Amino acid sequence: MKAKKTVIAFGDMRLGVDSDRSRRTPTVRKPKGAMVPVDRFKPPVGRARVETGASAVADLGNPTAVQPTMAEREALDRIDLSVDLAPDRGLLLANPILVASGTFGYGVEYGEVVDVQRIGAICCKGTTLRPRAGNQPPRVTETPGGMLNSIGLQNPGVDAVIEKYGPIWQGWKVPVIVNVAGESIEDYVEVARRLDGVPGVAGIELNISCPNVGKGGLQFAIDRDAARAVTAAVRRATELPLLVKLSPNVADVRPIAKAIEEAGADAITAINTLSGLAVSPDRTRAFLGNTYGGLSGPAVKPVALRIVYEVAQVVSIPIVAIGGVTNLDDVLDFLACGAVAVQVGTAIFADPELPVRLGDELRAECLRRGLDSYRPLIGTALPQRTGPASAKGAEYRP
Amino acid sequence: MRLVAAELVDSRQILPGQWLQSFHAPELATGSRAGQFVHVRTGDYSGLVLRRPFSINTADPATGIVTLHFRTVGRGTEWLTRVREGEKLDMLGPLGRPFEVDPRSRHLLLIAGGLGMAGVRMLADEAIRDGRQVTILFGALSAGHVYPSSLLPDEVEYVVATDDGSLGHHGYVTDLVQEYEAWADQAFACGPYPMLERLARLASGRRDRLGVAKLGRKRGRGKTDPLGSTGARRKAFLQVSMEQTMGCAVGACLGCTVIGVEGPLRVCREGPVFASDEIAWPQA
Ligand SMILES: Cc1cc2nc3c(=O)[nH]c(=O)nc-3n(C[C@H](O)[C@H](O)[C@H](O)COP(=O)(O)OP(=O)(O)OC[C@H]3O[C@@H](n4cnc5c(N)ncnc54)[C@H](O)[C@@H]3O)c2cc1C
Ligand SMILES: Cc1cc2nc3c(=O)[nH]c(=O)nc-3n(C[C@H](O)[C@H](O)[C@H](O)COP(=O)(O)O)c2cc1C
Ligand code: FES
Repeated sequence: MKAKKTVIAFGDMRLGVDSDRSRRTPTVRKPKGAMVPVDRFKPPVGRARVETGASAVADLGNPTAVQPTMAEREALDRIDLSVDLAPDRGLLLANPILVASGTFGYGVEYGEVVDVQRIGAICCKGTTLRPRAGNQPPRVTETPGGMLNSIGLQNPGVDAVIEKYGPIWQGWKVPVIVNVAGESIEDYVEVARRLDGVPGVAGIELNISCPNVGKGGLQFAIDRDAARAVTAAVRRATELPLLVKLSPNVADVRPIAKAIEEAGADAITAINTLSGLAVSPDRTRAFLGNTYGGLSGPAVKPVALRIVYEVAQVVSIPIVAIGGVTNLDDVLDFLACGAVAVQVGTAIFADPELPVRLGDELRAECLRRGLDSYRPLIGTALPQRTGPASAKGAEYRP
Repeated sequence: MRLVAAELVDSRQILPGQWLQSFHAPELATGSRAGQFVHVRTGDYSGLVLRRPFSINTADPATGIVTLHFRTVGRGTEWLTRVREGEKLDMLGPLGRPFEVDPRSRHLLLIAGGLGMAGVRMLADEAIRDGRQVTILFGALSAGHVYPSSLLPDEVEYVVATDDGSLGHHGYVTDLVQEYEAWADQAFACGPYPMLERLARLASGRRDRLGVAKLGRKRGRGKTDPLGSTGARRKAFLQVSMEQTMGCAVGACLGCTVIGVEGPLRVCREGPVFASDEIAWPQA
C-alpha cells in the first residue's frame, strides 16, 4: 500500500541567527519563548506518517503540500533549532541536521538539487595530507537495508581541498566541517595545522577509523591510548572546533569516548561504518575490490543508537549521532538517546532533499508539541543519572 | 540535473525478461543527450536503500517522453516491472557526460552487446537527426535475445551476431568490427566489460591497420586536448559507455570508479562515456 506523501513547504524559512555571523564568536539569539496554539496546525508529516527512505511514488512538486498560515509560520520561525557543537570555541549550527562525511562530497556535487544553505552543517569527504587514489573497484554494493562501501579515502589531499573548495565554502552560510584522516599522529596534526585559520573551514572531524601505521596498523579508534594521543595532538595543533568520530567496531566504546573527551575534543560524533563483507555473484571471491567494506544505512541504526546511548552516559561534551537516519523518527530516537544533533549519510543517495526536509519536520514537531526549542527532546530515553553511570548495554554481548 | 517526477505511460516486455518503459517527463526529454542516464528511486518495500541507474534509451522533446530499456536482474528491476501506468517515479537526471560526436563525422558505428543497446540507442536518433549514417552492430546470445529491428529507426543499418549462430553472424559482435572500421569515422560501444575491452584493443590497433596518413587527415593533428576533455573525446575513434555499482550518481561518494590511465574515474561524473584510451584496460 502506498501512503500518499505530503510535505510541508516552508519556503525560505530562516532562523534567528545572523547570516553574517562569525563562526568563531557566535551569538545565539534566544527565542522569545512564545507558546503558540498548536491545535490549528497539525503537520501532515507527523511521526507515524513520515514516509522517507524510498517512497514508491515520487513526491516531487508537492501538489498536496500544506502551506502554513502567517501565524503558523511566525510560530515556526520562533522555534530555536540552533545548536553549538563546540561550546568553548563556537561552532554554531542553525539546525541540528548535518550531512555525513563521504556521502555529500564537498557540498557542491548535488548542485541545484539541494539547497545546501539550509543544512545544519556539512562534513566533507575524508581528507588526508597527501592525495589518495582510493581502493580498487567495485567500491559499493547494496545490502539488506543498507550498503557496504570501501572507497579507501580517495581525496586530492588537504592542500588541493583548501585551494579548490575553501573559496566556495567561505561564501556559504552553512558551516563546513572538514573530515580528517591519517595514518600517523603526525599526519593528523599536519592536516589540522594546514586547515587552521582557513576561511570557510568551521571545524574538524577526526576520522580515527584508520590504521595507525606507526602502531602496526591497529586502528586509532579501537585503542583508547591511540585515540587519546591523536585527539590531544590535534587539540594542541589547532584552535578549530574539534569533533572526533567513533568507530562501532570495538568491544566497549565508553573508555575510548571518555579518553577523547579528556584529551580535549569539543564533541563526539558516532558512528562510523561497521566492518562487513559481500560475496561476488559467482561466489568465487569477495565482491568489493578491497574485500572488506563499511556497512551503513538503516541496518546500522540500532547499533548507532546503542553507542550513542552508552556514550551519552559517560561524557558531557555534545554528541552528534550518525547511522541510518532516514526519517524524523530516527532523528527523535537519537535525540532521546542523548545526541544534540544528527548526521544523515546513506539516505541522501535515495533522497537528496532529506537533510533539509528533516530540519523542517523537526521544527514542525516542536510546534506540534508546544516547544519553543528542540532541546527538551534530548536525552529523554536515558536512565536517570543517579550514582555511577549505567553499565547496561555492555551486558548484552554474546 | 534535477529531481523529476516521471509518470509511467507505457510498459511492455519486448524480449524475455527485457522491458521497455515510457515515461512522461518533459524536463528529462528536453535536457538529455545520448549516453546520459537517470538514477531511479525504487520502492522501499524490502529495504532497498539505493537508487538504480539506467541509460536514457530514447528522449523525445516533442512529446516529453523518455524511455528506459532494462532487464530484470534483481529486486529493483523486478519492482519496476510492477509499477502501473499513471504512477510517478522519482528520477534524478540527466546524469553523466554524453557521447561526443565530431561535427565532421559522417559515418557512425554503434556497437552494442545485449542490454548495451540501451546505452547507444539514443545516439542513433541523434545521429540520424543530424544527417549522419549509422550502422549498429548488435550481439546477443541467440535469436530470442535479439533487439527487435522494429524498435530502431528505418535509416540505420542493423547487423546482428549471435553466440549460437541462430541469427546473423555466428560468433561475437566484435568479429564484425574490422569490416566497418575503414568506413566508420567514429565508433560508440556499450555492453559487457569483455566486449568493451576487446573493442578497445581493436581500436588501438586500427591506426596501424588503416595507415596513419588517412587518420591524420581525417582526425586532424596539431594541438592535443587533455585526456578526458570533450575535444579529446571527439577525436577518439572509440567511445565506450561503462557501468559500475553506484551510490549517489552525482560524483559525491566516489563509489562508482573505474581505473583510468591517470587514476580513478567516476563513471557517474567523468563517464559513463569515456574515450577508450582513458581507461586502463587490464592488458593493452
Ligand atoms: C550508467 C549505468 C547505466 C545503466 N543502464 C542500464 C540500462 O539501460 N538497462 C539495464 O537493464 N541496466 C542498466 N544498468 C545496470 C542496472 O543499473 C542494474 O541492472 C540494476 O541497477 C539492477 O538492479 P536490481 O535491483 O534489479 O538488481 P540487484 O542485483 O538487486 O542490484 C543490487 C545493487 O547492485 C547494483 N547493480 C546491479 N547490477 C549492476 C550493474 N550491472 N551495473 C551497475 N550496478 C549494478 C544495483 O544498482 C543495486 O545497487 C546501468 C548501470 C549503470 C551504472
Ligand atoms: C560512500 C561512503 C563514504 C564514506 N566516507 C567517509 C569518510 O571519508 N570519512 C568518515 O569519517 N566517514 C565516512 N563514511 C561514513 C559516514 O560518514 C557515516 O558515518 C556512516 O555512513 C553511517 O551513517 P549512515 O548510516 O547515515 O550512512 C562514509 C560512508 C559512505 C556510505
Ligand atoms: S556514484 Fe557516487 S561518485 Fe559516482
